[in-house]
Amino acid sequence: MFDIDLMSRTPIYEQLYRRVIELIMKGVLREQDKLPSVRSLATDLGVNPNTVAKAYTLLERDGIIYSLAGRGSFVAKPDTLFAQEHVLSDFDAAAARALEVGIQKETLHARIDQLTDTDKKEESTS
Amino acid sequence: MMQLQGTVKRFGDFTALDGVDLEIPAGTAFGLLGSNGAGKSTILRLFSGIYSPERGTVTIDSENVYDNVAAKQKVFFINDETIQYAGFTLDQLKNFYKQFYPNFSDQIFEKLEGTIQLPRNRKISTYSKGMKRQAIIITAIACCTPYLLLDEAFDGIDPTMRIIVKRMLVDAMCERQLTVVISSHNLKEINEMCDQAALLHKGKIIFNRKLDSLKGAVHKVQAVFADRERIYTAADFPGLEILHFDKNQSIYHIIAKGGEDTIRSALAPEHPVVADLIPLTLEEIFIYELEGLGYDSNVFA
Repeated sequence: MFDIDLMSRTPIYEQLYRRVIELIMKGVLREQDKLPSVRSLATDLGVNPNTVAKAYTLLERDGIIYSLAGRGSFVAKPDTLFAQEHVLSDFDAAAARALEVGIQKETLHARIDQLTDTDKKEESTS
Repeated sequence: MMQLQGTVKRFGDFTALDGVDLEIPAGTAFGLLGSNGAGKSTILRLFSGIYSPERGTVTIDSENVYDNVAAKQKVFFINDETIQYAGFTLDQLKNFYKQFYPNFSDQIFEKLEGTIQLPRNRKISTYSKGMKRQAIIITAIACCTPYLLLDEAFDGIDPTMRIIVKRMLVDAMCERQLTVVISSHNLKEINEMCDQAALLHKGKIIFNRKLDSLKGAVHKVQAVFADRERIYTAADFPGLEILHFDKNQSIYHIIAKGGEDTIRSALAPEHPVVADLIPLTLEEIFIYELEGLGYDSNVFA
């Protein structure tokens, strides 16, 4: 569930941080769900326990999870806005890149329309 | 804490370590990187009390290591050579180390051995390279020392066993704040397991940093500038610490130190039309740092 790319350019703690948010947004992890302990996740992935602890600390700082002494870490009530903002920052970066190389705003708009149209079609066929 | 202060180690007229200062705090997983012959194994052998330094100090928890049994009992050193004690069986190997390490735990040994199932009654000389490594690694963990030194420890171990061994080490780190020092050419292992890493070259430390801060500390830049006729050189960017600079048609390839913002603002005066930045992987940092010191992979290209 917590797949990470050990050869990636992104630091492992950041990958874990993003992964937890993604799992919450996809509904795989729900409010009050218990996260694996630092020890079991670190052992499982074969990565430094401090790296996992750092990801958990940042998640807790941002209110995405909370911890109870002696009981572990749990998924907090999702702050939809924060989580959305996190995903949208990837969108912003991609859009900025496209605009930088001269792609027109209208092309990007059309692209989004296309995506939502495909969604609708899939819904109507299923 | 393990510490080197102004440490010099010579072998005849060859200087293996040339005045090294290094601190490895307790509880960290520390990676030693470096070119062949850079001095990685020498550092591990100093910390395990095999060598005494010509100058400077080598201490563990503020005590000198050489000729000091109490300090040496805190350290287990896994040598990069696997020929030792080849005439022993696994149980003889275990009993051999047990007499030197008072905290040896049979319970941990049996638990670890149970997961990898080595042929206990055969002599270690009949083991494959990877099996010899596994035998010594489980013995080392069972010695329950606060410090564990691994010299090229993952050499010859197959991918499945590699994961098992890593899990054993991480588990020991969680269990009892084990300090691990790993020397390796395999940057993947260092990347996964270590908090901090030092790069050595010709007996000197080139850098020593937290891995999290190392990632994103050097960038690969691909840039095209507004004035396409002009030929830029590294000297045109005085604000940048440049490790590598070349040009292919109008595209410049630059490897520069610094975060994304620093680099972008250093390029800004020359009006880049395109400037793509990607952070370097640990392997790329290794190659370009050493290239900057004249240890260049392009000599054979």
